[in-house]
Amino acid sequence: MPLQAIAFYVLAAVTVFAAVAVVFARNPVHSVLFLITTFFSAAGLFVLMGAEFLAMMLVVVYVGAVAVLFLFVVMMLDVDFASLRQGFARYLPLGALVAAVLTVEMVIVAADVAHLGAAASSTGPATPSAVMTNVEAIGAVLYTDYVYVFQAAGLVLLVAMIGAIVLTLKHRPGVKRQSVAAQMARTPKAGVRMVTINSGEGVDA
Amino acid sequence: MTPVHLAALAAPQLLLAGASLVLLVVGAFRPKAIRLVAGLGVLSLLAAVGVVAIEPLGRAFGGDLVADQGAAFAEAVIYLASAAAILLGQPWFARRGQARFEFPILILIAALGMGMMCRAADLISLFVAIELQSLSLYILAAFEKSDGKSAEAGLKYFVLGALSTGIMLYGVSLIYGFAGGTSFARIAAAVAHGASGGVLFGLVFLICGLAFKVSAAPFHMWTPDVYEGAPTPVVGFFAGAPKLAAMVLLARVLTESFGPALAQWRQILVVMAILSVAVGALAGLRQSNLKRLWAYSSIASIGYALIGLAAGGPEGVQAMLVYMTLYVVDVTGFFACLAALAREGRPLESFADVSGLVRQRPGLAVAMTVFALSGLGLPPFSGLWGKFYVFKAAISAGLAPAAVAALIGSVVAAYYYLRLVKVMWLDAPEGQIDAPPAEAAGLAYAAAFFVFPVVLIALMALDPAARAAALALVQG
Amino acid sequence: MSPQLAVTLIVFAPLAGALVAGLFGRLIGHRVAQIVTTGLLFVACALAWVTFRQVFGGAWPHAFTVTLAPFIHVGRFVSDWSIRIDSLSAVMLVVVTSVSALVHLYSWGYMRTDPHRARFFAYLSLFTFAMLALVTAADFMQLFFGWEGVGLASYLLIGFWYEKPTANAAAIKAFVVNRVGDAGFALGIMTVFWAFGSIRFADVFPLVASHADLAWRFGSAQFRLMDLACVLLFIGAMGKSAQFLLHTWLPDAMEGPTPVSALIHAATMVTAGVYMVCLLSPMFEAAPVAKGVVTVVGAITCLFAATIGLAQNDIKRVIAYSTCSQLGYMFFAAGIGAYPAAMFHLFTHAFFKALLFLGAGSVIEAMHHEQDMRHMGALWNKTPITYVVMLLGTLAITGVGIPGLDLGFAGFYSKDAIINAAYVASATQGTAMFAFICGVVAAGLTSFYSWRLIFMTFHGHAKWGAHEAHGHDAHADHGAHGHGAHTPHESPWVMILPLILLSVGAVFAGGVFDESFVGGDRAGFWGSALSATTSGTLLDQIHHLPQWVVLAPLAVTAVGFFAAWYYYIAREGLAARIAARRGLLWAFLYNKWYFDELYDAVFVRGAKALGDLFWKGGDKKLIDGLGPDGVSEVSYAVGRGVSRVQTGYVYHYAFVMLLGVAGLVSYALWAFR
Repeated sequence: MPLQAIAFYVLAAVTVFAAVAVVFARNPVHSVLFLITTFFSAAGLFVLMGAEFLAMMLVVVYVGAVAVLFLFVVMMLDVDFASLRQGFARYLPLGALVAAVLTVEMVIVAADVAHLGAAASSTGPATPSAVMTNVEAIGAVLYTDYVYVFQAAGLVLLVAMIGAIVLTLKHRPGVKRQSVAAQMARTPKAGVRMVTINSGEGVDA
Repeated sequence: MTPVHLAALAAPQLLLAGASLVLLVVGAFRPKAIRLVAGLGVLSLLAAVGVVAIEPLGRAFGGDLVADQGAAFAEAVIYLASAAAILLGQPWFARRGQARFEFPILILIAALGMGMMCRAADLISLFVAIELQSLSLYILAAFEKSDGKSAEAGLKYFVLGALSTGIMLYGVSLIYGFAGGTSFARIAAAVAHGASGGVLFGLVFLICGLAFKVSAAPFHMWTPDVYEGAPTPVVGFFAGAPKLAAMVLLARVLTESFGPALAQWRQILVVMAILSVAVGALAGLRQSNLKRLWAYSSIASIGYALIGLAAGGPEGVQAMLVYMTLYVVDVTGFFACLAALAREGRPLESFADVSGLVRQRPGLAVAMTVFALSGLGLPPFSGLWGKFYVFKAAISAGLAPAAVAALIGSVVAAYYYLRLVKVMWLDAPEGQIDAPPAEAAGLAYAAAFFVFPVVLIALMALDPAARAAALALVQG
Repeated sequence: MSPQLAVTLIVFAPLAGALVAGLFGRLIGHRVAQIVTTGLLFVACALAWVTFRQVFGGAWPHAFTVTLAPFIHVGRFVSDWSIRIDSLSAVMLVVVTSVSALVHLYSWGYMRTDPHRARFFAYLSLFTFAMLALVTAADFMQLFFGWEGVGLASYLLIGFWYEKPTANAAAIKAFVVNRVGDAGFALGIMTVFWAFGSIRFADVFPLVASHADLAWRFGSAQFRLMDLACVLLFIGAMGKSAQFLLHTWLPDAMEGPTPVSALIHAATMVTAGVYMVCLLSPMFEAAPVAKGVVTVVGAITCLFAATIGLAQNDIKRVIAYSTCSQLGYMFFAAGIGAYPAAMFHLFTHAFFKALLFLGAGSVIEAMHHEQDMRHMGALWNKTPITYVVMLLGTLAITGVGIPGLDLGFAGFYSKDAIINAAYVASATQGTAMFAFICGVVAAGLTSFYSWRLIFMTFHGHAKWGAHEAHGHDAHADHGAHGHGAHTPHESPWVMILPLILLSVGAVFAGGVFDESFVGGDRAGFWGSALSATTSGTLLDQIHHLPQWVVLAPLAVTAVGFFAAWYYYIAREGLAARIAARRGLLWAFLYNKWYFDELYDAVFVRGAKALGDLFWKGGDKKLIDGLGPDGVSEVSYAVGRGVSRVQTGYVYHYAFVMLLGVAGLVSYALWAFR
């Protein structure tokens, strides 16, 4: 238990610290790196709770794909972050105030929870059991109890894809494109014209 | 529960999802057959209305999906409004050389998302449905690629929408944590003996997230900018159906799962409602762009709908449903008018553009006048009846001060509604206005005809239908 | 014909005529409009006489009510459109329809060149309808309807020549002054409803006895409800009947065409006040204070109007003040409780005053629309018939008769009945003596100004040939009269015929109906229509009076006659010299006691100043400043502020959202701690 507690506090502290650093880091590349750190520590917290599958997914999807994509974008786009930060100091007091208010309120709620306890009849997270692994447990409900929302989530992704295509695909006229199918379907009949040339007259296309 | 039974309960959703997938394939292989895709899209929406009318009632997927009269009522209105959006939008884009087959499909998917919102009785399906709907709308807002404003509108909508999603998700996770489950029934059981501070905290966040979707103040900031930038038919769609869906969802969350905490959330809704009415009325005074103006008008309208909802109980929810339904017709008609009006291809969007409209396009000017007066709540137009329901519910629920505040807002807002009428009827016209396209003008006339006098007859059917829907929503 | 149908026809025939002439006047032309309206009026008149005969002959019920349709049914406030027939309304039906029919006929001639004849006849018929609705009302609401209806018609007719600014001003003045009275009238009706819970005469009158002592406490003061209601109602009567203080509109109303003056401002509408007081006699009997007020106001008007009449030069204005004065007689008669005498004088006065007005119209017509008597004279042989009928009218109004034989012209019976009744009443009522003195003096003045009118108009030297540019009244510009020939001429027969018929009334109306109205038959004649509480004793005693009282009216009349003869025949020109000196008394009378000037200074300018104060200070600065203007200003400013927050920057918007979240969460936590 103490080991788990130590791990929790370390991971939690790193998560919070890294999240703050994402916002405050001067260099955007550093920000993204801190974001990756945050994801990693969060994945560690998942592991602590026995949700290894979620932890792996977080690492694979968010760290492996999303964050790296972010990194590429940040590095490739020539964004003048200094100018974006110009208003930072100006808005800081007001922003800090709102943040402080929200924080205080969250602390109040947290205190409430510590005092009264969370939901009395919580089912709690699916704890790892001997009979069923984490992946099995998710798989058991994903296509049964949650098939409706799962399919809906699939549609969300579809919409995202349609959107990406609609908003970015442009058919520019006059651009030569390769059509493999057309190339493959080409026959000698279509491509070759047999002409008989009388000598001395030449060929006029 | 057999798969057939499950499929029957989700029939409209399956129909729309299937239709959108099929049409996507059709469009991918026949990119030129846009009219076909649009036509089939309209047909499948109309078919969905029919399915909604006859499908069985029940619950499935542990509350992820509820088929009841509340959902059916709202879905019918939403699908009809969506069909109108396709009818209006497809030719509109075609006239600008922007026609693409994705437009009807995106509307279909948005309609699907909205239908799911109406049917969600679980925080997970609530979230997924909202995202499905929102994502489609973000894309639609930016649909006019050649127009920088449209892209800006889409981006703003997306970024702020993401923020609101974050706020909402935070609330959802808090509620989940404190209630120990995501289904509304479970939450209701958890708060049956009073909501703890934590749940309340989560609830406020959830309400804030949904408030963004209905553009209630103070989460309304995106509305004027997005309305101004987005293509007109899309705005007509935005302003109507999604708000009804979000209001129904809000009603279901609040009454089904947080019914015992009525006293608490009522206060929050009243605050937002009065803020919305005030912002909608006051900020509208200085607008010169009609689309922006109607954005403020819609903010104020949501304020009234929220007052109805805040009244709570079947009466309050019924008032909200009637109000929103009439509002959807009103706003759709108004944007149909705007979509019908252009001068040498450039759409008319400002007060100066429509000055003296009555002398050139008397029919559309009369229709716009009808919509403006209805927005103002002048008898005997439909806006009055909506407000009547709302105020009646509010007063019988002891919210008379809120009703009075909203009425004062109406008085202030009268300025800009009447200003529009004045500009159209009394000012001098400038320049020739293009012949209005048949579909937009026809839709505008139909809506105007509904606003008055058909509404008087329609209310006879609307009243009991909304009442049954409200009972279903409240009793869960 | 059933009684119900007959009386319904009487009331609605004029309305039908008005609608036909008013709505289709252009379509059917003047001639048809004239024939339709006048024809219907004569039908109504004939039916009215039939009703009169049948009601008093006993063939029909003595009193009955025809309920036509519901009017207002709100809670206990119930009013129906109905026709109430009793002795009182039967008399009024005869008076109204007879005079109206004759005036319609007379107007054929008088208005024959007017381009808007159809409209004129429509108004006349409309007026008649409203007046009939008034006299047949069975409750206060319909009474008020008729009251306002005749007011409207009067307004329309006074302003008939709307191109003339003076006519417009006069019409507005009549309307506005009547509003003052109507406010009182309306308050009176409300008081009645408040006290009795009903506004139907049939419900109210039986309750008077039991409610007589109801009082209304206002601060430390106590008001008897009956007195309060009657005084308020009488204020309405003062307005309509041009009594002292509210009389100023009547002389100006002479701007209207002369037939209008005869019908509305002499015979019918202005007597509505008297009619109302008589109708409500059961209530007034229970209101001694109100009766005193009626008596005093009537007596003052009677004397005061007569004095002004002495110095006027416009032939119509003289008769107008005479009307005012005669109405004063009627009121004080009603005030002392001699309701039958008041009604009798109303009845006879209708004939001889309409005769005088129409005769004056004939003179004006003869003089090519000259109204100033100083430009007339020696007309008796130019317009002999007019002269004779005017003479008869004057004899009637001055009340010439032989007391011993009880033989005389119409006014002799009615006026003497009033004066004698006032003397009898003075034994018990203090105000009656005042009324008696005023009445006797006014009788002398009446004689003077009436004979003065005759002498200035028909006798003496002709003053009309001397000058070319004489004054014109409104339709002088018609140009239809041969302006080459300035010789006065007799009027056409359509104008003469009504004059002759009316003069018959003026001569005989008194003698024939004396017994029925105020004599021994009166109990049977009036039935329960008039309260007999006081009038019974009063009228029984008028035949047992000291000789000097009986002779006094005749004596002062003779004095008036000789004074007029001395000033205008024997010493012709003397009066003009007196006028030229502009003595104080003369100026005071000539300027109508300076009432118009006083009202202008106090009410018109005062109200205007007050209005200015409230408008500029109160409304524009205070109410508008803090109210609409201020609010709209603030709204606009706030709107600008809200719009300014709308910067277009996404992070601003996001910040506002977060602000909203923080605010709402704080609110929620604060509210539900």
